[in-house]
Order: sequence, then C-alpha cells, then structure tokens
Amino acid sequence: MKGYLAIALLGILVTMTLALVRATLGPSVYDRILAVNTFGTATVLFIAVLGFFTGRPDFLDLALLYALLNFIGTIAILKYFKCGSLAAGED
Amino acid sequence: MSGEQLIDIVLLTLLASTAIAIARLRNLLATAMLTGIFSLLGACWMLFLDAPDVAFTEAAVGAGMSTILILATLCVVNAEEKPSRESPIALVAVLLTGGVLVYGTLDMPSYGDPDAPATTSPITRIYLDSANAPSEQEEGHAAGSNPGDGFVVGIPNTVTTVLASFRGYDTMGETAVIFTAGLGVLMVLAGARHRRPDPSMEIEPEPVDEGPGK
Amino acid sequence: MDAVRELLGWLWIVPGATFCVIGGIGLLRFPEFYSRMHAAGVTDTLGAALVLIGLMFQSPDWTVAVKLALILFFLYVTSPTAAHALIHAAHTTGHEPLLADDPAPAHEGDIP
Repeated sequence: MKGYLAIALLGILVTMTLALVRATLGPSVYDRILAVNTFGTATVLFIAVLGFFTGRPDFLDLALLYALLNFIGTIAILKYFKCGSLAAGED
Repeated sequence: MSGEQLIDIVLLTLLASTAIAIARLRNLLATAMLTGIFSLLGACWMLFLDAPDVAFTEAAVGAGMSTILILATLCVVNAEEKPSRESPIALVAVLLTGGVLVYGTLDMPSYGDPDAPATTSPITRIYLDSANAPSEQEEGHAAGSNPGDGFVVGIPNTVTTVLASFRGYDTMGETAVIFTAGLGVLMVLAGARHRRPDPSMEIEPEPVDEGPGK
Repeated sequence: MDAVRELLGWLWIVPGATFCVIGGIGLLRFPEFYSRMHAAGVTDTLGAALVLIGLMFQSPDWTVAVKLALILFFLYVTSPTAAHALIHAAHTTGHEPLLADDPAPAHEGDIP
C-alpha cells in the first residue's frame, strides 16, 4: 500500500495515544475535555486517511459526521459545566 | 508484519488500555470522558474492519449521545466513586461468566467458512441476487449518472440494501427502541433533583488522582 | 501523473501527520492547561489542514475533493469556537493560568 498513507495513519495513532494519556492524567476536568476534543479531531483525520488507504473514499461521510458531532459534544459538555444541567438557558 | 496488522494491533492495544484506565480511575468525570474516547476508538476499529454502517452508529451514539447522557447523570450523583472492598467472590463470578462466554464462541463458524449457515442458506442467494439485479427499464437513460442507477433497489451498497430495504422493518424497530431509550433517560434525568451549580465548590481543579496501575 | 500524486502525498500528508504528533507531544509536556491549549491548536489547524489538502490531491473524483474541503471548513469553524468556549469556561470558574513570574513551577499532571 502507499507508504505515506501508512506513515500518516501511524502518526495519527501516536497522537491518539498521547491524547489518551493526557485524558487519563490531566488533573483538572478541562485538561480532559481538551484531550477528548483533540482525540476527536485525530479520529476525523484517521477516518479520512483510512478511506484513502483502503481505496474507498466513501468513508468521508463518516468523517464529516464526526467533525460535527465532536463540536456538538464539546459544547454540550461545557454547557453542562456552566449551567449544572443540560437545560437551555443561562444562569 | 504488514502495515495493516500493525495498525490493528495498535488500535486494539489502545482499546484495552482505555478499558483498564476506565476500570482503575475513581473520578467519575474522567471515566465519562474516557468512555467517549473508548467509543471513538471502537468506531475507528470497526471502520478498519470494513463496516462503515456500524461505525456510523457507534460514533454517533457512543461518542456523542452516550457521553452527554453519562455527564447529565453525573450531575445528579456523586462525582467520586466510593472505594469498594475487594471481594474474591466477585472475581470468581466474573471469571466464570467470561470463561463460559469464551467457551460458547468456540462453537461459532470460522471466518469465511463455506459451511456456515449464513453461506448455505437460500435467503443469502436471493438477497445478493436481488440487491445486484440490474433494472430492465429505461435503456435510454444514461447509466452511471446516479450511484444507484441500473439496480432494481437503487442503493449501491449491498449491506445498506439489506438493512434499509429488505429488512426495513427491523431497522424501523431499532430506531424506535433507541428513540424510546433516549426519551426514557431524559425523562428520568429531568425528574431527578439536580445539585445547584456552585462555581466555588464544584469545578475546581481536582487533586491528582491515582494513575492507572500505580 | 501517479508519480506527481505520490510526490504531493509525501510533501503534504507526512508533514501533516508530523504536526499532529507535535501537537500531541505538546499536550503532554506543557506545564498547565492554558499552554496545553496552544499545543492542541497546532493539531487542529496545521495538522488537519496539511493532511486534508494532501488528501485532496489524491482524490480520484472532484466530489471527493469537495467533501474533503467541507470537512476542512467545518474543522476550521468549529475548532476555534470550541477552544474559545473551553477557555472561557475555565477562566470564569476561576482556573488560574501559570504566569511567568510565579515562584513555583506548576507541572500539574506530568508523567511521573
């Protein structure tokens, strides 16, 4: 298979591992949210490169979906921390 | 070892280490985040196994909704797990159940077995032929202008054809089940008593908790 | 044509993956939360842009290139918003940044 795609996949996997270590270690909750956000971006890139690696670029729909879901998830988590519940409205 | 095997091994190792970290950490907020990461890794791994439909579902439900719902539940309960006594009976029960399940999987047909029930059943042939059957109409219509052109059912992917067209009622039932489950969880959480948000107490940097395997 | 594609792949995708790893290393090595945010930003913008633009050169069809451009656009719109929301939440709940003239180094949560 193409060498540069395999190297890119391994690099993104290394990034995922580093983000995972930070999510486990990070003393404050914001470190963990940051790590999960980075992990989500790395997943989007992983899916995109994997689609080209296996010769099926149709996986890009999944990457697009996940880019949006990652954002919504992060904002929902922060809204929970700000308001104490997931109901809309600011305190 | 080839590149694909290496990627497979790395993905599975990451899955296992995330699971160990989830089991060992006592701070429940951290485990909620790690559960999100676990679902993401599962979605990547399913994509690597050539199953995009399942990966879609795993990413959307596991990494998106499930993390948010777990956090909404943490709003109502304590954010720190109480230390539990280690019990040998629990270990024996877990090992026994796991051993029985693994013993059950030994009975499954091997990958690509020509004698497996899924391969020899007559329905398989009917599904595959109907999914790939060319349509007999409109020969003047330019072929290939839509991805589903030329097929009776009109969906280019065979797995999606089975899921969405031949077994459509199953999919409708699954959607109804997931929707009901989501509604039920939201109703339970709406009725529970919420802790009032107190910025001075609730969200300060927690002390460094025990790392995995310290 | 294939040789051109391969050269473009090596030129764009491999540095993109390298910047992702650099961002990850920064995420682990920086002493406290606000500086780790800077490191994560490298992954989100430079790493993602290089990888996705490199993949655009490899795409067999223009629809695939449009989808990649869409993914890049969404990442560029949502990453800074999420970063801003995260720092705003951290700041308004009183998480203090480590300043240059602080006596003791923080190094919270470093690898032991």
